[in-house]
Amino acid sequence: MEVEEKLALLNYKTDPEYAHITVNPKICETCPDHFCTFACPAKCYTLIEGKLNFKYEDCVECGTCDVACSHGSVAWTNPKGGHGIKYKFG
Amino acid sequence: MSEFDAIVVGAGPAGSSAAIKMASQGLKVLLVERGEPPGSKNVSGGILWGKDLDAILPDWEKTAPLERYVERKVTSFLTKDSEISIDFKTKKFEQTKTGYSVLRTKFDQYLAKRASQAGAMVVSGITVDGLAIKDGRVIGVINEGDTITGDCVILAEGPNPRVAMAAGLRSKPEDTDVAIGVKQVYKLSEAAINERFNLRQNSGFAGEYVLSYLENDIFAGGFLYTNKDTISMGVVINIETLRRDGRTHSYDIMEQFVQHPFISRLVEGGTLQEYSAHFVYEGGYESLAKPYGEGYMLVGDTAGFSFSNGMILQGMNYAISSGIMAGETVIEAKKDNDFSEKSLSRYMDRLEKSPAILDKKNFAGMNKVVWSSLVHRAVPEMLESSLGMMLYENGEPKKHLTDIMMKSISSTELTKKDLIMQGYRLMRRM
Repeated sequence: MEVEEKLALLNYKTDPEYAHITVNPKICETCPDHFCTFACPAKCYTLIEGKLNFKYEDCVECGTCDVACSHGSVAWTNPKGGHGIKYKFG
Repeated sequence: MSEFDAIVVGAGPAGSSAAIKMASQGLKVLLVERGEPPGSKNVSGGILWGKDLDAILPDWEKTAPLERYVERKVTSFLTKDSEISIDFKTKKFEQTKTGYSVLRTKFDQYLAKRASQAGAMVVSGITVDGLAIKDGRVIGVINEGDTITGDCVILAEGPNPRVAMAAGLRSKPEDTDVAIGVKQVYKLSEAAINERFNLRQNSGFAGEYVLSYLENDIFAGGFLYTNKDTISMGVVINIETLRRDGRTHSYDIMEQFVQHPFISRLVEGGTLQEYSAHFVYEGGYESLAKPYGEGYMLVGDTAGFSFSNGMILQGMNYAISSGIMAGETVIEAKKDNDFSEKSLSRYMDRLEKSPAILDKKNFAGMNKVVWSSLVHRAVPEMLESSLGMMLYENGEPKKHLTDIMMKSISSTELTKKDLIMQGYRLMRRM
């Protein structure tokens, strides 16, 4: 089963106005490893034509990317109250 | 004059336990949780060893949403073709149960509700943006620019404590401090679970696995627990080796676990209900943060209280016990109306006598052993080849055990000297 199908099972209350994680494209441009694309379990980080693409909407708030990025590009905060992932089982 | 005696940030087992303890003693407590409802952000890859709850909720075994008690515990090495296990089933815990599988969204909601019933003000769907600090003292929390004041703030944010980190009370974790946890929950009928795992009624199965079949020298562990009519399973991936590999996706390691020949048949026919992830804190004794200071305390995963030696995983129990100890400390501090660092150091006195710290201290360096090529590659390979020779007949004359063992050892990549050294270290750490 593809991870996209797994993510489709999840409920989110997406905050259209606030991205709780941001990346610095300048840093990502020169990144030699793009380890975020391998570490993130929700496939929020992908390379499109060699360029890093990040979408916060699929984020499950696991915290991995903040540790995975050793180049200081990821700025991680909690989503604003009640927004983000909403697990039913946990 | 503060608005609250104590403000607790995070309604997981640690925060809710602290809130229950304090509120039931008449303290004015605010419990703030960013998830709505409480528990909806929380993921666990462990069993609830809940004995510590007795002190604050004597009726918890009758009232909490517990899934199954652990009757059967399995520790396994999974190679590409084989599973080598210690399979321990016991009736000993039928009366006095020691561990339960739980689903955290339900369980954490229950605890938060009990905190509310004990008299705490429980607010969910509110994210604390930071700590209010005055003259070097924590005096409250900030939400959307407003300060809510409390004599003491207890940070129970889990393993990714953004408030504690922003205030410099916890450092950002290194690769070796955390592992990536990925989890899946499958729906399966109660009858099918009972039959498949050899269980009856509310008895349950808890399995921990070493995934030695992984390619490219990546280290990861697996877990699988039975709930009433669902199965929780997942992987815990070592970041150092995943980074070194640099070409394998964490989500593929999850899928490979599901597809292992001896795991896939356990969830066969089940429907996937949920996919989730959270990093797991694994830092050792040396990387524990100072869990108290002027007007604040850190509890549970936020303080770094978790433990794993590959055979037993613990976290929720330390969360509960540290939450209770922090609560007791606030109750004492309130009597003296002294929430200084010195007064709150009584929390540390309590911790130092408790498993939350003692387990870390006594098993310092455990991580290096758990995440070693000995455990993840050499031992499972040796066991697979030697047991294959001992337990099966292949038409050849039988060999002595020592010959079989020596042959198995020589088939691994480790030298005999490495093996003895690493084996000694393993036994000593265990």
